Amino acid sequence: MKFLMLKLEPIIWQLFGGGMMLGAFLYPAYLLVIGFTAPLGITPIEGLSYERVLGLASSIPGSVLIAATISLPLWAAAHHVRHIFIDFGGLERDGFVGLVCYGSAAVGSALAIIAVLRLHF
Amino acid sequence: MNEINKKTVKVTRFDPDQDEEPRTEAYEIPVQDDWKVLDALNYIKDEVDPSLSHRWSCRMAVCGSCGMQVNGEPKLTCKTALSDYEDTVEVAPLANFPIIRDLVVELEGFMEKMKTAKPWIMSAKERAAEEGPTSQSPEELAAFKQFSMCINCMLCYSACPVVGNEPDFLGPAALALGHRYNQDTRDEGSSERNEIFRDEGGVFACSYANECSQVCPKNVDPSAAIQQAKLLNVIDWAKSFVVPRGGK
Repeated sequence: MKFLMLKLEPIIWQLFGGGMMLGAFLYPAYLLVIGFTAPLGITPIEGLSYERVLGLASSIPGSVLIAATISLPLWAAAHHVRHIFIDFGGLERDGFVGLVCYGSAAVGSALAIIAVLRLHF
Repeated sequence: MNEINKKTVKVTRFDPDQDEEPRTEAYEIPVQDDWKVLDALNYIKDEVDPSLSHRWSCRMAVCGSCGMQVNGEPKLTCKTALSDYEDTVEVAPLANFPIIRDLVVELEGFMEKMKTAKPWIMSAKERAAEEGPTSQSPEELAAFKQFSMCINCMLCYSACPVVGNEPDFLGPAALALGHRYNQDTRDEGSSERNEIFRDEGGVFACSYANECSQVCPKNVDPSAAIQQAKLLNVIDWAKSFVVPRGGK
């Protein structure tokens, strides 16, 4: 696993970087709208109606956006957790921790992609 | 006029012939308000205990010899004012390095890591004298100049959590210096270096704690160099699938 992680590190780092980027830019906006402005009536709640969101999710750009905003932050989190583990002295178990972290991110990403694809087929 | 008052300097002492573990000794000494931490150590060695061992040379933050932990933070002691601290100052050898004696640490591993990053200009053929000097624009120089200001003081290794946890990690100074040569227009060795950078202990082992750049006394910003090197390695890696031998 360690060897595989070393070989795949450039890809993992890109997924991590993408996740951090999306997390930094989109998640605060999501939280602001869904958590505060929509419930408080500052932005119209109709914007989040089922039909409208389904319409967004069913379009190609919307599908890509939803799959990316679910899966990429999972990779960012997985990479962070793995490195935090190393920082706390867990280098010897790095292979196992990496398998669990990246494995979970991979499963989560696959589920997100399948969920989005089901809207199309 | 310099006022004289007293400060307690707690210094790590370790004699490999006598001590099993490093111990701390406190010295109460008269200090002047313009003294650096190094002045206090030199006073202790000259006036109180000549057996104290510590490295220093230039006293002007150029040689990089006098790096130590001052109150737990890696500092160049010649650049660190004693007046910035309360009545008690703790001086210990740089963290993440084996101690040889007192405040002196083993440099061998660091030197080996520096060599691994191949910090020299590599080119396929030697340039003939008749061809004249190589030209480089100010912009091309600016791409790496900052990363060439390293004085090998090792403060970044002492601050880096990854260096502490992963013995094979090449470390901030070595990776930044390797990146400096990768960015140099005269150099042709980037694919060779990048293979080392992508290997175990290379750029991707860095978890971006950014501590190296915080403690660097020369504002080299090794952390920025490593992040840039990560991106260039991703591109290099992707190229290796598309173009045979990375397009070189």
